[in-house]
Amino acid sequence: MPYNIAMISDFFFPQPGGVESHIYQLSTKLIDRGHKVIIVTHAYQGRTGVRYLTNGLKVYHVPFFVVYRETTFPTVFSFFPIFRNIVIREQIEIVHGHASLSSLCHEAILHARTMGLRTVFTDHSLFGFADAASILTNKLLKFTLSDVDHVICVSHTCKENTVLRASLDPLMVSVIPNAVVAENFRPLSLPTTTPSDGLTSPSSTHTPVPAPHHLGPNSTITIVVISRLFYNKGTDLLIAAIPRILASHPKVRFIIAGTGPKAIDLEQMIERNVLQDRVELLGPVRHEEVRDVMVRGHIYLHPSLTEAFGTVIVEAASCGLYVVCTRVGGIPEVLPAHMTTFAKPEEDDLVAATGKAIALLRANKIRTEKFHEQVKLMYSWTDVAERTERVYDGISGVLSEEEFYVGFRSGAGWSATRGRAGVQSFALIDRLKRYYGCGIWAGKLFCLCVIVDYLLFVFLELWAPRASIDIARNWPKKVVLHGSAKHEESGSGVARKRSARHREKRRDVETDNF
Amino acid sequence: MFPSSSHPPTLHTTAPTPSTTLFTVSTRSPSHTLLARSLHYLALLLRVIVGIAIIVLFWAKWRQRGGDEAQGLGETAWYEDMVLSSPVGQMAGWAARGLSWTWVVGGTMIGGWAVTRRGYTEESLLVLRGLGIQTSSSSPTYLSTPTTRFIPTTAIQDIFIHEAFKGFEVRFYLAIVVQGEEDVVVVFPTLLPNRHILETVWRGARACLYEPAAAKA
Repeated sequence: MPYNIAMISDFFFPQPGGVESHIYQLSTKLIDRGHKVIIVTHAYQGRTGVRYLTNGLKVYHVPFFVVYRETTFPTVFSFFPIFRNIVIREQIEIVHGHASLSSLCHEAILHARTMGLRTVFTDHSLFGFADAASILTNKLLKFTLSDVDHVICVSHTCKENTVLRASLDPLMVSVIPNAVVAENFRPLSLPTTTPSDGLTSPSSTHTPVPAPHHLGPNSTITIVVISRLFYNKGTDLLIAAIPRILASHPKVRFIIAGTGPKAIDLEQMIERNVLQDRVELLGPVRHEEVRDVMVRGHIYLHPSLTEAFGTVIVEAASCGLYVVCTRVGGIPEVLPAHMTTFAKPEEDDLVAATGKAIALLRANKIRTEKFHEQVKLMYSWTDVAERTERVYDGISGVLSEEEFYVGFRSGAGWSATRGRAGVQSFALIDRLKRYYGCGIWAGKLFCLCVIVDYLLFVFLELWAPRASIDIARNWPKKVVLHGSAKHEESGSGVARKRSARHREKRRDVETDNF
Repeated sequence: MFPSSSHPPTLHTTAPTPSTTLFTVSTRSPSHTLLARSLHYLALLLRVIVGIAIIVLFWAKWRQRGGDEAQGLGETAWYEDMVLSSPVGQMAGWAARGLSWTWVVGGTMIGGWAVTRRGYTEESLLVLRGLGIQTSSSSPTYLSTPTTRFIPTTAIQDIFIHEAFKGFEVRFYLAIVVQGEEDVVVVFPTLLPNRHILETVWRGARACLYEPAAAKA
């Protein structure tokens, strides 16, 4: 059942990053599954207006004022008119917001609920509870997530974090991990894909497992670090650990790629210890170049202090690197034990873990050449898209409560404000009840915001009536041979008028008939 | 949303020859009934009368500027006499005597603006096969000429429909890519009609600009 989905986040290409590529990959795979996906983000330097990416993925770069690290200024209501216009012209049914630091996403979820749309939120990051910024972000998150239909987290740790931060019912939070495009991260032993190779299906051309390559006791081991050089990525830890690792292991070299505010500290450390010939700084690398850097090494070191998922370690393992990482956040869930050595996020343990990993590699105890195939089986975006689609089915009422929440008996734990499990009522009074529970003062403030938002919605309906808004044409789709009934709407531009609510009704009728 | 008219833009296509097409988008109300048409002409007549009255009032005030010495000269042309002795002239003279200059100037400016205002917007695209495209936008008043722009066929690189943010909404627009220019030329820039109109114009313009496929084969 195809949906019209709007992915909303402040973070999108041309800016590189994990959230950005997550949104892109998920969107393309959802389009492949027959859905219509658009992306709404703010305007970047030299990137404004409406654009199309591969496969008809439409991107709206809304002109907005950027405050800090590509995050827009949180103006609670100013986004509503243009958001409503986009939603109506694209006939959106599900609004899917990404990243908890994106104010655009929070606003969109609030407005979408006011407009009576289903909403999903994906959290990509972990937050603390103590400092002022976290408290503020958490309150904002609580506001938005009081009335969201479903939340997706990238790891179980992230789920726990989000559930605590936003006081959510754990049942309405799903875990869907990130994935990698394994074809883009092949080890050196496998040839890189040529365009003609890409056309053949990966299953038919079964590549044999390459012969294990042996490392002699005197051969050089290269350790790769690719990360943005920020405090939360553990650059300080790295700066402290590198001289000690190099001192105790003479045949080890470092390659560090990435840039950030901590780059100067790193350079100072190299100069102070005179390590220029053993530590190579590459500066910023583009995402498509990451593989070429990774395959030059044997070990990938990931000293991050907080990480919700850590896509980069999956990419490293896919390239056939042994991974040394800190045991923080969602990282322990990501890779199986035989691919990683964990360390506590402290200097001594990181040095010890790296030493252990070097010893293991020298002893040739690790079959790193098998990693690529294993990772390929574990992570695929198609799988992520399927699971996300199931969430969409659940919130639109296509899946019944028992199907969606497996092993849960209905009517037991739901609050009074919730109607059918997982399907939140759109009635303003029900929404207000949900927001009111957010806190003594915050609850009232949030209710006020919601009421203003609703009045704004009513005003907009009068000021810019729905009938005067042009419906955009859908990207023309190839008609797939199987399942002709499924693709009935691929032709005309003004198809798929059924809203999520109609769909829900139809489902109810079906169940009645049974 | 639509400037100075409640009527949504409508499209009129005229093709005097197979190689010429004129697409006109206008917010003017389509007057087909007798009542609507007579109302339209009545309004036009009223505008002319009010316009004349304003000019005569201003002129009468101007004549009284000199006061007695102008009267003393007594040299008035026959047409001046004719105008001043007519009922309109007498009324204007009486009003001019009663009103101060500020009132007359203010009233003349407001009245002049109201009378010459067009009240609707009309934008057109003229396609001439082998020659080029001319875009035209009507001026807000009857006094000034429409702004036109001619683009020769050799300079036209492409013509397409795209979307853009305009105010608080996303609008479709028809654009022409001109060789050697950084910005595209937007057709119907003030009206920005809806997608159906734009698609009709786009198809028609392409069919007229480039030889139709049937003619080639």
